[in-house]
Amino acid sequence: MSDRYFEPDAETMPRDQLDELQEEKLLGDLLPWAYKRSPLVRATWDAAGVSIDDVTSMDDFREKAPFVDKDAIRRFRDTSNDRYGGLLCVDPLRAGGPFTAVFSTSGTTGDPTLVPSVTSGPSILTREFWEMGCRPGDYFVEMLFTYRGPGIHHTIRGIGATPVFVDHSPFEFPNVYRLSRELRPTGWYTMSTPLILALEQMAPAMGIDPRDMFASYKGVIYAGEPLGARARALLDEWGVNFFVHTGVADVGAATECREHDGCHIWEDIAFVEVLDPDGTDPVADGERGELVGTTLVDKIAPLVRYRSDDLVRVTRERCACGRTHARMWPVGRKSDEIVVDGVSVLPGDVWPAIESVAETEAALFQVIRPARELDRLRLRVGFASEGPHGLADVRDRVIDAVEACVGLVPDVELVPNEVLLRQGPPHKIPRVTKQ
Amino acid sequence: MSSTVRMPPPDVWGVGRVAVGGEMIPWPVSHADVDDETDSHVATMRRLGVGEGDVVVICSLLSEAIHVFPLEQAANAVGARYSSTDATEFDAFRTAAMVSQVSPVAVIGVNRDVVTGLRGAGRDLREVFGPVKVVVAADEDAREALEGAGLAPRRWLKLGPVSGFECAERDGVHVDGSRVRVMTTEDGGLLVTTTVPRLTPCVDLATGLHGEVIERPCACGSTDPRIRMVPAPG
Repeated sequence: MSDRYFEPDAETMPRDQLDELQEEKLLGDLLPWAYKRSPLVRATWDAAGVSIDDVTSMDDFREKAPFVDKDAIRRFRDTSNDRYGGLLCVDPLRAGGPFTAVFSTSGTTGDPTLVPSVTSGPSILTREFWEMGCRPGDYFVEMLFTYRGPGIHHTIRGIGATPVFVDHSPFEFPNVYRLSRELRPTGWYTMSTPLILALEQMAPAMGIDPRDMFASYKGVIYAGEPLGARARALLDEWGVNFFVHTGVADVGAATECREHDGCHIWEDIAFVEVLDPDGTDPVADGERGELVGTTLVDKIAPLVRYRSDDLVRVTRERCACGRTHARMWPVGRKSDEIVVDGVSVLPGDVWPAIESVAETEAALFQVIRPARELDRLRLRVGFASEGPHGLADVRDRVIDAVEACVGLVPDVELVPNEVLLRQGPPHKIPRVTKQ
Repeated sequence: MSSTVRMPPPDVWGVGRVAVGGEMIPWPVSHADVDDETDSHVATMRRLGVGEGDVVVICSLLSEAIHVFPLEQAANAVGARYSSTDATEFDAFRTAAMVSQVSPVAVIGVNRDVVTGLRGAGRDLREVFGPVKVVVAADEDAREALEGAGLAPRRWLKLGPVSGFECAERDGVHVDGSRVRVMTTEDGGLLVTTTVPRLTPCVDLATGLHGEVIERPCACGSTDPRIRMVPAPG
């Protein structure tokens, strides 16, 4: 068995066994647990006229189980005076129980919702860190924020490595440079677009040689938002072996393996479906659809058939790495889509156009989306400089590039990059705004 | 499920950082160090009024992990739960959101960036933190801002690899005298020594902070030494 697997039996489990395991975990354990204890699950199923007794097979689950989404959780929270949005399945007043902390979602799409959590032990990301090539005794840079709790510390220790704590801020690069040369870490969690672009700008003044800084790393996890071509090129130029990492419908995370051919979804902890974004029918393998997730392991605040709003492509074809679990490619957010003159536009569609203009190459931009269907495509675009011919010229070149890319002539408002960066969180900015 | 390898965790829990003479230096700590700091901060939690069934919001930066993780563990040790927010301008909205959503008995670690972020978002500090019994400032700017809003913040002070908190008397930061000794230089510079075994020895470490050490018992009854901050000379 190859040394690249942390849990070889689980990671390479034949598809039929994986399907059986999912059925056993979902129908035999998680679903009865959630149905009995989660006020949101019970209310949603009652409203849909579906009982747990109606679901005796995975086909039943796919056909009958009603959906929840983030708005439903917020609505339940606000109308039921339940701070956990009806998700909690354990007694919050029981001291010493398994529920030791209350974290929160990023808040990128609205107010953060609560994530009751267990804070001991490593997460399943041990598989990813191991696949990157990190091994016991290594140092591992954790460049992160705190609102998701200490799970990554535990996970780094879970592979026998030692975390080195730094903030997710460009002003940390001098520290990271020094630590990288002294400790020779092999792993880094996480790099983001704002950090990549800041490193490019600040490295000369900080006396940092990015190639030297990244020389010891076997893998750097990239997360936050889709990786643009320009940021990707910079990572390549610096010799960074980066691994794209993304969330899985708030029931897990997915990361590329060394093949860099899609992010592995760990299907022994999550049951995922890819459905028509405007309906309930599944899309074909590899086709674009909305990711719907059901946890198979979270008994504290389980999500059952959670419509994530994330548009993805998923394949269940075996990866060249030998793993059998599904792989996904994030496309964008369903609620980010606008339709102008019948043309569907996602932020990712205009991204290459904006980074093709030198003054806006950081690709800090927002789509103005007061409604889904619009007469005009409106963009707020960050600029680094006014260029040789002034902002009117920059605006004209952005308009031309966007038109060439999506066939629509946009209205463009230019603002300094800093204005958009202040809208954080630091690893990404809201790509869509109502005004 | 079989695994390729199951190594015991290394002795080093993690590499944090500590201010030494105005410079931040890497500071490895062991599991035993973290456990010992946790034991020390159980008393801190009780002093802050955090007990069984409560939630405490801890506002911090990841680079402060060697100081913060023991606080998180100590909160769990007294039967409470904790919630984490980033001590940055960007994430100040989350601190406000957590205060309204989880009704914490204490918020630890409000710093100048959080104050700036909240003000920038048009939030009134008294409105945000008024419902919280105990608000703890992580720096002097935040303390002044919170006091200016009519609140009575306590102070959290990081002294090398350890930290201390004010009690309800707000008359100096208590440090754990059974584990830490604090001395002053002629110009009031604070030197810290850990008097229990630690992975990284800390002997008369120049913290870059200035203050006076009060040895007499506090009105709260504690006989631990306290630190009153004073401005740096010059």
